[in-house]
Amino acid sequence: MSGESELNLHYPPLDRAGDDIRDSEGQVLPHWQYVLDSLSALPADALAERQSKALRLLRDDGATYNVYSDDINPPRIWGLDLVPNVISSEEWADIEAGLLERSELLNLLLRDLYGPRTLIRTGVLPPEALFSHRGFLRACQGVRTPGEHELITHAVDMVRGADGNMLVLADRTQCPSGAGYALENRTVMSRTFPSLFRDSHVHRLAAYFQQLRSKLLSLCPNRARPRVAVLTPGPRNETYFEHAYIANYLGFYLVQSDDLIVRNGFLWMKSLDGLNRVDVLLRRVDDWFCDPVELRSDSRLGVPGLLEVVRSGNLVVANPLGSGVLENPVLLKYLPGISKALLGRELRMPTVQTYWCGDEQDKAYVLEHLQEMVIKPINRRPGELSINAGQATAEELDALKARIMQNPLGFVAQPVIGASYIPTLDGAVLTPRPGILRTFTVAGTSSYSVMPGGLTRVGLDEGAFIISSQTGASSKDTWVVASEPERLITNQPAEDQAAREADMINLPSRVLENLYWMGRYAERAEAALRLLRTTHALLNGEEPVTPAMRTYLLRSLSSIAATAVPPLPESDEAMGVLLREGAIPHAIAGVLNSMLFCADEAKELLSSDTYRVINDIRDALPVLNAAPDDYRTADEVIDPLVTALMALSGLNHESMMRGYGWRFMELGRRLERALQSSGMMGELLGPVLAEPEQSRMTEALLLTLEGLISYRRRYGARTAIQTGLDLVMLDTDNPRSLLYQLDQMLIHVRKLPNNKGFLHELPPAERALVSCATHIRLSILSELTADQDGERQGLREAMAALGDNLMQISDMISDRYFDHREESQQLVTARWEGL
Amino acid sequence: MRYRIRHITEYKYAGRVSHCYNLAQMTPRSSRRQTCHNSRIDVTPVVAAGSRREDYFGNTAYHFEIQKPHRELVITATSEVETHSQIGDTNLDLGRTCAEARRQMQQARLEEVILAREFQLDSAMVRASAELRDFAADLFTDDRPLLSAVAALTERIYSEFEYSPLATTIATPISEVMKNRKGVCQDFAHVQIGCLRALGFAAKYVSGYLETLPPPGQEKMVGADASHAWLSVFSPGEGWFEFDPTNNCMAGEQHIITAWGRDYYDVTPLKGVIFGGGTDPIMTVSVDVARL
Repeated sequence: MSGESELNLHYPPLDRAGDDIRDSEGQVLPHWQYVLDSLSALPADALAERQSKALRLLRDDGATYNVYSDDINPPRIWGLDLVPNVISSEEWADIEAGLLERSELLNLLLRDLYGPRTLIRTGVLPPEALFSHRGFLRACQGVRTPGEHELITHAVDMVRGADGNMLVLADRTQCPSGAGYALENRTVMSRTFPSLFRDSHVHRLAAYFQQLRSKLLSLCPNRARPRVAVLTPGPRNETYFEHAYIANYLGFYLVQSDDLIVRNGFLWMKSLDGLNRVDVLLRRVDDWFCDPVELRSDSRLGVPGLLEVVRSGNLVVANPLGSGVLENPVLLKYLPGISKALLGRELRMPTVQTYWCGDEQDKAYVLEHLQEMVIKPINRRPGELSINAGQATAEELDALKARIMQNPLGFVAQPVIGASYIPTLDGAVLTPRPGILRTFTVAGTSSYSVMPGGLTRVGLDEGAFIISSQTGASSKDTWVVASEPERLITNQPAEDQAAREADMINLPSRVLENLYWMGRYAERAEAALRLLRTTHALLNGEEPVTPAMRTYLLRSLSSIAATAVPPLPESDEAMGVLLREGAIPHAIAGVLNSMLFCADEAKELLSSDTYRVINDIRDALPVLNAAPDDYRTADEVIDPLVTALMALSGLNHESMMRGYGWRFMELGRRLERALQSSGMMGELLGPVLAEPEQSRMTEALLLTLEGLISYRRRYGARTAIQTGLDLVMLDTDNPRSLLYQLDQMLIHVRKLPNNKGFLHELPPAERALVSCATHIRLSILSELTADQDGERQGLREAMAALGDNLMQISDMISDRYFDHREESQQLVTARWEGL
Repeated sequence: MRYRIRHITEYKYAGRVSHCYNLAQMTPRSSRRQTCHNSRIDVTPVVAAGSRREDYFGNTAYHFEIQKPHRELVITATSEVETHSQIGDTNLDLGRTCAEARRQMQQARLEEVILAREFQLDSAMVRASAELRDFAADLFTDDRPLLSAVAALTERIYSEFEYSPLATTIATPISEVMKNRKGVCQDFAHVQIGCLRALGFAAKYVSGYLETLPPPGQEKMVGADASHAWLSVFSPGEGWFEFDPTNNCMAGEQHIITAWGRDYYDVTPLKGVIFGGGTDPIMTVSVDVARL
């Protein structure tokens, strides 16, 4: 196919019901026609190009969905299909009205369930429907949220039913995920198809997030500028990307369990200048895990004492603790009655028919029609999915029946709903995929607002039964298209923005600690890679490398990468293999992994440019760990990594705000660079060697520390130890010299907050640094390099002492500025909640 | 009867505890047969923030946090309570039959019955099982008055289980108690609750104290009393009745109620999270119930 020809995005009418893009006469709906025509008008290879552009944007934004992500399996890039799910604004008006009503109802229901429970007392809802659901937290009885609404955010999953109308499948009410992914999809789509997007008059999502932001701020009426934080379980959570993304977009802190502490009846965030009060928590941690004192005792994701702070009115949690009770699917069965009791009418938007086996009639019906049903356990265990009984074997059906009979209260059944099909790209071909739409509402001062659009997910294949991000479904942007262009809404008042930036200097100390270690690990990896590269160059060079040189190089490498010295092979070739495939590349990969972990922890502070480089490093890791077959030449592996690390350093230097975050990262970098350089100087130049070995070792050191070119320019071709040391130890014009690192550290340490009582007495870290720098500055090179029984004792001792002092300085910084949470434990060991 | 109860709980930690968050349920609640006149909880070291509230079941919960480093925690709950026996002359051989009670539980037309059904469901520590049902089923014949059957079950547990404080811990599951036929008051209460629920009745776990009298001619020793547990069963139309399988009796004036819930988990006297503290803290509890 030539580049000029147009794409053939033919999408034939489906030979069954449920075509999302055609009307009952088989005509493609006008809003779909426009989008499909526009896509078809693209040159053939343009689509592939846009696809890779979209993928690159997602990757650069760090958009991931971490299912089973660990050190070996990197997080999966969020899947986005380039064909949007298009909905006309006329139809959307109906959907919107239905959702508003639904949110209002669930809000009233939540208030009743944790309040008077009138619905139970009057028999609208059988007691078992509520009391046997694990999401009903008795500890949350009577907890109220200020304002009109208990339920702050609400997500609804829906599909287009057989009649073409939307049908609600489920509600998400604890800490609904997906709004951030919807926003990311939108951002990527509008950059990938700027003109199509513009011409389609797509409703914008910004208003939803603005509403969310102002609602959260309004939940704390007592303070002029309440502090809002987003509580995340951390980078290992599958939707961590979204937590960081939303926190950043809204301008709130991103915090984890360890960043928070309850003290004197309030919630505080630990930061560099002490404790800062938190007034509102947007939580992405499940109900059960939020407070180990009153809820799940083995939780490490919550904050001990949190619930009592909420009760006392000193903190608002959104959504309120206990709101998971609304996710109980039994409620769907009783929704018509509940709606009549609370709203005085039935909901206009239909909900999927739900049978509850706790009801005798329903149970009999379900057992009789089992194969037409999807069976859902009410108290779902993590990872537990619904069972499509129609696809079960006879044995599985028997087992399922037995489970239902054993615990009828614990199961609901719903008819299998054939989701309607949405055209989806498979390569360059449009294929029908079942789609499900999740959209979001947020409480305002008097009513809810609905995100115009949402997150559409499509099944992996035509017959996909369960469509969820956990099972690997792909997603789509959802376009609500207006016939008229929409009025633009500006993002945020500027004054508010400035206030926020000023406040953002108070980062949680965990973030600072991670930036510090990110700096240290980055430098450590770079030092190891550089020395590895030098060693390779020597081994592959013209002149043979003597066993003594090999020993010292290998020893130095091992000490940087913190691995045991591998047994020294006989030949250079064997040595080369060891360096390529042995313990040292693994150890370097380990260091880089640690750096990536720190970067993920501080994700919200890193620009997308920075993230692109971080992704390059992540992608290169498997090569370091590669099996011998996959091996390419050393330079091919090492050079791009060194370049990426330097790019990272440059980006941090050029694009990070000069706040404490930047300072701690710099401190980490300088300290680690000084530590590694001094180590190399001791290891490589400590032993006295005969010429020309000695010159070659000095050269190796200069090459590794990026000083060889300057040296040659200054001193010519012959390399001598003392002039070499002069350049890499003492020259403060050389940004890789020891003294330069120490001087820089002093500058940073002096800028850190310090609440000592004296005006002139130096704080410990600064004093130790002044002492180190002075010692190095006062070095006499002839004394350092004097030969004592074949060793340069002076140099060895000076470098060892500097190394020790630097480690102590690191400890001082860590003790003073980072949080050291003690291990917590339960007063009484109990494991009953796990039942 | 009027009592003063002093309940002292002491923790000695192997290491320093820097701060802690606790929830105590040590304040006697008021009920139909009991009035709590006053109650206070004293904690050392000093409490940084403390608050009292009524929990879901109507019990009194006391939350406190300590921000002062300590190696020893002492909680002293002192209360004055007036108790009465349950309805004067309950004749257990009259009243609602098992069949009638079961039918009313299922129909649940009255609010009282609807709300009681919460206590018929499984809870964290007590799950109905065929084993528990079979252990009791023969006593609950259709025509027999429910309370008479419950009394017979109380007696059966009393005579078939051995009281043995070392046989179980708070985390021992009921199935194991059933197997070994040994345990303490908490286990016996759980067993009986489980049997009742398995048979379709509602039962609550009641925690509290029992006044013990010294052998004739001896003086009562301070601290010799103990915290205690029993259960309460619901008979539709008649209300809740407390039985004590450890002593084979209905709860009387000497049974002082602290709290009730679905099982021990709902009324744990003291729980919380501590920071630091090392391993294996030593806990001692002493209870003193004095007649006023």
